[in-house]
Amino acid sequence: MVCCDRCPGATTSDTSHFARRRLLKAAVFQPQPGPPSVAAAGSGGSNAGSAGAATAPDVNTADRHVYRTVTGTITDISPHFITIGHGAGQRRLALTADATAWRGEPLEPSALSPGDEAVIRIVPSQSAIADRVWANIGRVCGTILESDSERLLVAECATRRPQVVVISPLASARIKVRLPNLKPGYLVDIIGVRRRGVLHGLIAPSPQPRYRSDHLPPHVQAGGRLPEPITGSAVWHDATDEPYGVLGVFYPAVDPGAGCVEDAAAKITPGQAQTYRDLPYLAIGSALHVRNECTNIDWTLPVAGCAPTARLFNDHCVACETSPRGRIADLTLASFVALGGELEQGCFNATMTIGR
Amino acid sequence: MAADMLTLFGEAQIPLLAALLLGGCATKALRVVRTKAVSAGLGPTALFPLRLRAPVAVFMCVVEFCLGVGLLATSSHFGKGTPAGLIRLSTGLLFLVATFALIELRSVRPDAGCGCFGDFSQAPVTSRTITRSALLAVAALATMKLGPITLPRWPDQGVALLLAVVAELVVLGFISPEIRDFLVQIGYSAPCELRVVNPEQSLAALHRTAQWRRHSDLLTSHEPTDVWRELCWRYFSFPSTHAGKDAELVFAVRLEQRRPVVLSALVDTASGAVVPWPPATSRSARARWRGTLRVRQAHGADPVPHSEAAGLPMVQRSDGF
Repeated sequence: MVCCDRCPGATTSDTSHFARRRLLKAAVFQPQPGPPSVAAAGSGGSNAGSAGAATAPDVNTADRHVYRTVTGTITDISPHFITIGHGAGQRRLALTADATAWRGEPLEPSALSPGDEAVIRIVPSQSAIADRVWANIGRVCGTILESDSERLLVAECATRRPQVVVISPLASARIKVRLPNLKPGYLVDIIGVRRRGVLHGLIAPSPQPRYRSDHLPPHVQAGGRLPEPITGSAVWHDATDEPYGVLGVFYPAVDPGAGCVEDAAAKITPGQAQTYRDLPYLAIGSALHVRNECTNIDWTLPVAGCAPTARLFNDHCVACETSPRGRIADLTLASFVALGGELEQGCFNATMTIGR
Repeated sequence: MAADMLTLFGEAQIPLLAALLLGGCATKALRVVRTKAVSAGLGPTALFPLRLRAPVAVFMCVVEFCLGVGLLATSSHFGKGTPAGLIRLSTGLLFLVATFALIELRSVRPDAGCGCFGDFSQAPVTSRTITRSALLAVAALATMKLGPITLPRWPDQGVALLLAVVAELVVLGFISPEIRDFLVQIGYSAPCELRVVNPEQSLAALHRTAQWRRHSDLLTSHEPTDVWRELCWRYFSFPSTHAGKDAELVFAVRLEQRRPVVLSALVDTASGAVVPWPPATSRSARARWRGTLRVRQAHGADPVPHSEAAGLPMVQRSDGF
């Protein structure tokens, strides 16, 4: 078992071989040195060395335009500065003049309160200046297990505790326009404000699929090769049990042979998982070049896990233009913000190229 | 009678070669229309620097079109003699150059398709692709002295000609990877990126290959330390040693039912550098890599990324903490 979506107790201890995969793959597809007697005499080793120790792409150059995030608990807030605390210490950030905040609705950063859990977006190439703050934001995306007039119990994945979602009376009418079937078995995706471990749902970022999560429409495979690059909707997932600041993509089509914990827990045999959209099989550690078509920010991110829920959705993203149907990437919160995504919108139109 | 049959067989090559050239040109043009990029073509254009790829792709397409039309135009009495001979000689030379380009491409970009028929030629270049190109070169050069093509003079001759053409098409089909891609294109077969293949199947396929027999002596354990799949390839990493140091022997197995393409490399565990094969295991690979080193010096090769750059999942952070 090598991967899962938000596995409880996921650690970083056994992931080094995932990163090594790209190195080994590059070694296979690269021209290789011959034996010492054939290669330039005595230089076989040095050639090999140069291949292995070749200069890595200038990561800093690629990073210049992406946003960085800081996550933590607000300890002090003023119109011009915000201080957050984290296990690693405290950090004080200046706020730009036009900085905005969100806590269920847009507001001035100074209206935030100490104790709020904040995701702070840092201005590119400025390490101590922030321009966007999301407070207490949360998201629940999965299949409804139980429901009543105000509450939903939602199973996000087979390895995670079900989440309680309270539908705020103020947002109830708006949510029901997009999520008409708040009944067990149907898929929901709700963004809201987290209070004491419960999500108070305020926004439905995309229309609800009409089918139950266990009755996906019969899939007809389109003839021909898969398009390259792949376009569709990229979403983010809540990072409640994920190390903060993690960069990566949870991908809907991780190789069935890799043994996704999610599928095993749900007793899905390899290759039999229901999926709305055909995506090429990849492995943990595969490189994906993801572009946010709304902001034109792009970055290469590693596949970090399975996305068993994202593959069930058939929604469009209408963040800027209407994306093709289907979710192609479930980004970590930090990756979503890095590419210029607005968390309260829930998605952006993405173009994805598989790193060769 | 035998001479007549040989002449007849030779005459069948002209329309066949013309059809292949015009088909190759048309599929390449279709790919350009579909992708809206001239340089999107696969194949030997990958051997050229980026700025030259588009002009080279256009040049190849134009040459194929001109030779295809030329072969048909000079097949009868029009242009008989020297013009027809020159066209056929040029066709032969084109396929000859293509043969050497494919050999080079297989060394430099073992994962790239030959691009001979645009989208249909995405499977990696194999010895079958190279053999096909060489056979077509022979076929074209063999028709140089051929006179104008005439219709069969008696029915048996027509039937024999038909059988010969069918037999040749079967042989060409057998050595053409494009047939599988064609089945994928029309929706008959799933693209290899979507095929569910067990790691055990891939490992069994690997065990049947010459690459495995050649290199398995280098393994310190037959249990792979890592197995993963990306697109159409399954990768196996085995523990090995090189010059007394730990190394990893990596095999990439293409996910095909029959005779999968297998690539391999020996990588130093500590440094991540690709190390040369020990002489005993590299005898048959020698010729292949001899040319490779030359190309690397001439054009440079994509750098092998460091593991740090590979993006270690679950540990890369986006802030300053």
